[in-house]
Amino acid sequence: MKKIIGILFLFLISISNAKTIRVGSSFPVKKVKQALQLAVDGDTIIVNGGVYKEGNILINKKIIFLGKNFPILDGQRKFEVISVNADNVVIKGFKIINSGYASLDDPCGIKVYDKSFVKIENNILDNNFFGIYLQNSRNCLIKNNKITAYGKQEQLIGNGIHCWKSDNLQIIANKISGHRDGIYFEFVTQSIIWRNISNKNIRYGLHFMFSNDDSYITNVFKNNGAGVAVMFTKNVKMYNNYFEENWGDSAYGLLLKEIADSYIFNNKFARNTSGIYMEGTSRIKVEKNVFESNGWGMKIQASCMENEIVNNNYLKNTFDISTNGSLVLNTFNSNYWDKYEGYDLDKNGVGDVPYHPLSLFAVLTEKTPSAMLLYRSFMITLLDKSEKVLPSITPDNFIDKTPLMKSLPL
Amino acid sequence: MKYFFVILITFFVISCNSNQPKPIKLNSENCEFCKMTIANGKFGAELITTKGRYYKFDDAACMLQYAKSNQVMVKMFFVNDYLKENELIPVEKSFFLKGGTISSPMRGNIATFSTSKEQKEFQAKLNAEAMTWEQVYNSY
Repeated sequence: MKKIIGILFLFLISISNAKTIRVGSSFPVKKVKQALQLAVDGDTIIVNGGVYKEGNILINKKIIFLGKNFPILDGQRKFEVISVNADNVVIKGFKIINSGYASLDDPCGIKVYDKSFVKIENNILDNNFFGIYLQNSRNCLIKNNKITAYGKQEQLIGNGIHCWKSDNLQIIANKISGHRDGIYFEFVTQSIIWRNISNKNIRYGLHFMFSNDDSYITNVFKNNGAGVAVMFTKNVKMYNNYFEENWGDSAYGLLLKEIADSYIFNNKFARNTSGIYMEGTSRIKVEKNVFESNGWGMKIQASCMENEIVNNNYLKNTFDISTNGSLVLNTFNSNYWDKYEGYDLDKNGVGDVPYHPLSLFAVLTEKTPSAMLLYRSFMITLLDKSEKVLPSITPDNFIDKTPLMKSLPL
Repeated sequence: MKYFFVILITFFVISCNSNQPKPIKLNSENCEFCKMTIANGKFGAELITTKGRYYKFDDAACMLQYAKSNQVMVKMFFVNDYLKENELIPVEKSFFLKGGTISSPMRGNIATFSTSKEQKEFQAKLNAEAMTWEQVYNSY
C-alpha cells in the first residue's frame, strides 16, 4: 500500500508542474540527491530534520532548497557539502557541518560557482574549512547565517565568508567566529556588509583586498587575532562599526594599507593595541569616531598624506597619536583630546592654545620600543612637558589648532 | 680548561652559522612588507641578511619587493614548499610555477616545489608557467 501511495505521489508531483518535493525518513523520497534528480527549475525541495550524509550535494537547477528543523548535511570531513551551480537558488534553514579538509582545492560548506541571485539565509555552518564561498558571483545575498569553526594558531583554516571577483553582494547579519578571516573580500565591488558580528577569528574579523566601492556599516569586530584590514583599495565607506579588544604585538583595530578616498565615520575603537594603523593611505577623512582605552589611538606612518582627522574623541589612550617620521602631511582639526591642558578664555568651546597630540615619548618608543620601560618615570614626564612647550624632537607643525574643551557626544 | 675553550669556540662557530631559516609562526607573525599576518604555510617566504637578520613574508612577491625597495644585503632567500605545511626551502634548490590557478595571499601567485618532477606534475594541474629562480627574481 505504502509503495503504491509513494508511486502515486511521485506521479502526482511529476504531472502537477512539480511544485514541492519533501525529503525525510517518513516521505517516499529519503535522500536529498534523489530529490535533486527529480526536481526541475522552479521547484521547491523541503528537507525534514535528520542527518544526511550524502557527500557532495550539487545544485544545478533553479530551485528553492529549504530545511525544516535544521536537517544536518554532513560532509564527513571529505566533501564540499553544497555546490551551487545554477542562478536564483535559495538555500535556507540547514545545518551544514564537517566539510572536507584538503587544503589544495579549498573545500567549503557552501560554494557558489559563477552565478547570480543566489540567496543563502538562516543556515548554521559548523566546523567547515571555508564557510560560504562566492566565486565570480553577482547580486547574491548572505543573511542571518551562523558560521562557526574551531581554528587554532599554527593551523590552516579557511575564511568564514569568502568572496572573490564578485559584485553587488549583500552580507547581512551573520555571526562568524573561529575562521581565518571572518569576512574576506578580494576583487569585490559595489557590495555592502551590514550588521554582522565577527569575533574570535584567527586573523582578521574583516579583510578587504583590491575591493573598491564597498561599504561596511554597523558591524562588530571583537577579539580577532589582528582586528580588521582594509588594503590596496579605494572608495570604501566605514560607518558605525565597533572595533574592540584586538590585542597583540601585530594587532590593530583597523589596519589601513595602500588605501585612498575613503570615509571613516562614527566608529568606536576601544581596548585595542592600536586603534588605527595607517600606512600608504591618502585622502581619507576620519570623522566623529571614538578612540577609547587603546594603547595607541592612531599610528600614522610617514607614508600617509592628505588625510583629515576631524571631530574625534580621544579618551584614556596611553598614546593618542604616534608616527615614525617628521613629515606632517595630514591635518588634525577640532578633536577632543582628554590630555589637553589648555584654557578657553573666550568661552567658545575651543581651546585657545593649540594641542600637540604627538608626545615625545610616543616618538621615542617608535624608534626604540624597549624605551617603554621608562614610561611614567619622572624624567620622561619632565621631558614630555618641556617638549610640549618647546618642540624639538616632535615635529612642531603636528598640531590641532582648534582642540575642543568638551568631548563630543558620540 | 683547554677543552672548555674548544667547546666554547665550537659553540660560537655553530651559533654564527645562520644559514638555516627560522620557522614562521603562522597566524601570529606579520609580513615585513605588507603587514598582514602570515596565515598560509604554502606561500610564506623568508630572507636572511648578511648581518644575520631574519625577515618573514606571506608571499614571495612581498619578499622580492621588500628586497628590492629596501637596501638590504640579502644572504639567502627561502620559500615555503607548496606541497608541505610551512616548510622553508632555499630558492637555489627550488622549482617554481607562476600564474594559472595558483592563488597566493598577495597575488604573487608563485608556487615552489622541491623537485622538478613535482613541478612538472603540477604545471598541468595548475595551468601555470614554469620558472627558474632568476626569472622569478627578475620579474619584480
